[in-house]
Amino acid sequence: MGIPLDNSGPTMKDYASPNQCTWCDGCGDYGIWTALKEALVELKIPPTRVLLCYDVGCHGNMSDKLKGYRFHGLHGRVLPFAAGAKIANMALPVMAVGGDGASFSEGVGHLVHAVRSNYPVTFILHNNANYGLTTGQASSLTKRGEKMNTSPNGIPERTLSSMDFVFSLEPTFVARGFSGNIWQLKEILKAAITHRGFGFVDVLQACPSYNHFATHDYLLEKCYDCWKEGHDPSDFKKARKLAVDTSRRIATGVLYQNKDVPNFYEELLPRQGKATTLVNEVALQDVSELMKDFA
Amino acid sequence: MQRVSLKIVGASGQGINSVGEVLAKGLKREGYCVFGYREYPSLIKGGHASYQLDISNESVRGSVRVVDVLLTLNHHGLQRNLDDVKEGGLLIHNVLSWKFSKEDEERLQKRRIKVVYLPVEALLQKMAAQPILGNVLLSAFLWAAFGRKIDALKAMVGERYAKKKHLLDLNMQCIDEGYRFVDPATGPVSVSLPPPDPQWRDHLLLTGSHAVGLGAVHAGVRFFAGYPMTPASPILSYIAEIQNKTGMAVKQAEDEITAAQLVSGAMHMGTRALTATSGGGFDLMTETLSLNGMIENPVVFIVAQRPGPATGLPTWTAQGDLFLAVHSGHGEYPRCVMALADSDDAFHLLPEAFNLAEEFQIPVLVLTDKHLGEALFCQVPYDQSKTQLRRGKLVTEPAALAALKASDRYDPSPADGVSPRWLPGAEAATYCAQGDEHDPDGTVDEGAENARLQMEKRMRKQETLKVRLPEPAYAGAEQPQVLLVSWGSTKPVIEDVLRDEALKGQRIGWLHYTYLWPLKTEKLAALARKAKKTVLVEGNHQGQLGKLLRQESGIEITDTILKYDGRPFFHDELVERLQSFFPAKGRRSVPRPTLA
Repeated sequence: MGIPLDNSGPTMKDYASPNQCTWCDGCGDYGIWTALKEALVELKIPPTRVLLCYDVGCHGNMSDKLKGYRFHGLHGRVLPFAAGAKIANMALPVMAVGGDGASFSEGVGHLVHAVRSNYPVTFILHNNANYGLTTGQASSLTKRGEKMNTSPNGIPERTLSSMDFVFSLEPTFVARGFSGNIWQLKEILKAAITHRGFGFVDVLQACPSYNHFATHDYLLEKCYDCWKEGHDPSDFKKARKLAVDTSRRIATGVLYQNKDVPNFYEELLPRQGKATTLVNEVALQDVSELMKDFA
Repeated sequence: MQRVSLKIVGASGQGINSVGEVLAKGLKREGYCVFGYREYPSLIKGGHASYQLDISNESVRGSVRVVDVLLTLNHHGLQRNLDDVKEGGLLIHNVLSWKFSKEDEERLQKRRIKVVYLPVEALLQKMAAQPILGNVLLSAFLWAAFGRKIDALKAMVGERYAKKKHLLDLNMQCIDEGYRFVDPATGPVSVSLPPPDPQWRDHLLLTGSHAVGLGAVHAGVRFFAGYPMTPASPILSYIAEIQNKTGMAVKQAEDEITAAQLVSGAMHMGTRALTATSGGGFDLMTETLSLNGMIENPVVFIVAQRPGPATGLPTWTAQGDLFLAVHSGHGEYPRCVMALADSDDAFHLLPEAFNLAEEFQIPVLVLTDKHLGEALFCQVPYDQSKTQLRRGKLVTEPAALAALKASDRYDPSPADGVSPRWLPGAEAATYCAQGDEHDPDGTVDEGAENARLQMEKRMRKQETLKVRLPEPAYAGAEQPQVLLVSWGSTKPVIEDVLRDEALKGQRIGWLHYTYLWPLKTEKLAALARKAKKTVLVEGNHQGQLGKLLRQESGIEITDTILKYDGRPFFHDELVERLQSFFPAKGRRSVPRPTLA
């Protein structure tokens, strides 16, 4: 919502950065990076009209590999920063990008409350099921039993069922993409960016250096487009089942969307009917009326 | 100066605050300056709490330890607070068939303390009124004792219940009963107040937290995010309470990290946003503070101090987080630390905090404490005509925006260290607000030369700011014998104490710091040379300002008046502690107010 329509539209060139990519050969980040730019271009959002917020992890090294207003913050904390930015200026699409390490451990509280608050923010989860940038430690999404850096015997903890967890929070938008399916991921991101509330986009990606289980080949084989099989994203129960059960095949696409739930900003009574944003309201305010309460 | 003090004690939830508030408002309207001070334990019901009013026709901005009138709403006060009443004072209670111990009885007699029993329960039963109305009864009794006219109290209570006729009638009956009540054992009692001064009638009566809230609204704050923590919570509560009037977005966040990140994001986008917390919550915010230092994002965090470490004394006061504020967050980055002293500062310095944050693109920490936040001040209505809105090098003009290069954002060349800032959404070159060390456009750059240039750029802002900040305010003797050095919420009580008869004729000078980092020391150096003795007055154990002053100037202040028991400095206490720095022969005794 609140996204300006500019018919001239930007091109991929407008988002191009001269900085060289530093991800590993075969990293899923390349695909997500491409799909993100394509989605913004197809939505005709120029680089000056978006704020892309990055957490800390391999994905965060995207922050200087494209144009657009960008922010690269602290590990685990990207969601509240993005939410604060969006609340301040509803006219600008705001996207938050984070990894599974931060989002399901250090920053998991923020994720819970971002879903619950239904912030009008798109969240792209770079899900490579490990901490890549710190050289391959287990995340809470790493398959149990995998031998990782700092856990040579495999981790003792159970793997967190991320999708079941997210669905338990009554989300309004849940999608799953695969970094190898750039066209579909672009379409998913377009749907997420134009979603009214919090758009959770789980992107499965390969980590060629440290994830030896869910490899690119593995994901290529298991992922399928649930749109093509006629999945109805308005059915919460079916969507949850589809999202959680990845034993045989992994469904990708927009799994669930509820367009009827107002977002956090819309729920704020003092902001209802206001055409201005918090950014353009900055001015010295007269408090004469408020002072009367203390006379 | 004649001042009278009234302390109301009872269990939390018994309504001591409502008696205190009614009397404070009433007396202010009658033409008295009142200063309200609350003590309460960290629980909702029970415990032992107090609400104290210090009253005068002149400015009064602190509390005394030993009061003229004590009102206790339960028997605990009759056991614990007897020493809080002055010789010749008045003790009022509502405890049926109370018998003092023999020792207490003698103590009271020896100190000529009059004890009045007000049979609240019986009087309420007679009127078939609920227990809550006991507070009205007690307020009316005190109103009469203060020699005020009944109509004024009725008018005030009437305003509150104008729309609830049945409650209004009962309230009026209670006022009548309380006002005319006479304890047969003592006969009529009265507390003599000095003649009123009409100037106080037009004053506002508000807490420091209200003042901070008003200051924030005035400053153009459009978003507030916070997580409840005493003594910062009343700021969140007040701002939330008025949100439908101000149109502000208010968020009770899931934790302090979130609150800090929310306001950082909002500030980055270009609005003015605020959060407030106390020490423990601020600990959680410090990583975010450091981030803002790096991305040169203006932010303002309020740190309302209470005694630590850990949960400490949650509902009491301290000035123990100065080191924390000055040193918080990892890495080296510029910041401004300021401390509010009173309700005047709380309003006027909020816009200034945002101005400095935006001009220097730095975090600004505003220190307050429980004492300031919950004390009730008589405040001249705020003059809003002189407030400035300064946003520094924020570029908003289309032509200027179009001329910007991405590398202008963190351009390390400006002499003052401040590079242009422009907001997401602006039609200009885009940049990255980069938390990693970065080159001028926000590209990650780990090169040694770049790291040096960017660090120097950021830290130059600290130097520029230091030049810009005012020296601490000085008051008192030109050639002081004793030079006091203080900061924050000790200001009001020091101001009162220096006007006290007991210290008349002593050559005292007083330097009060508002801006604590970067720290200016030239004025201190000049004054310390003149003074025979320099005395630090601080609400902490280490004399934290003293240590910072020594670090920055080499001046070591060895004489101290420190306090770290959770209580603010009391007027009578501070007078005594100050007197100890003067020869005994010069001392005068403090005249006592007369009680009949």
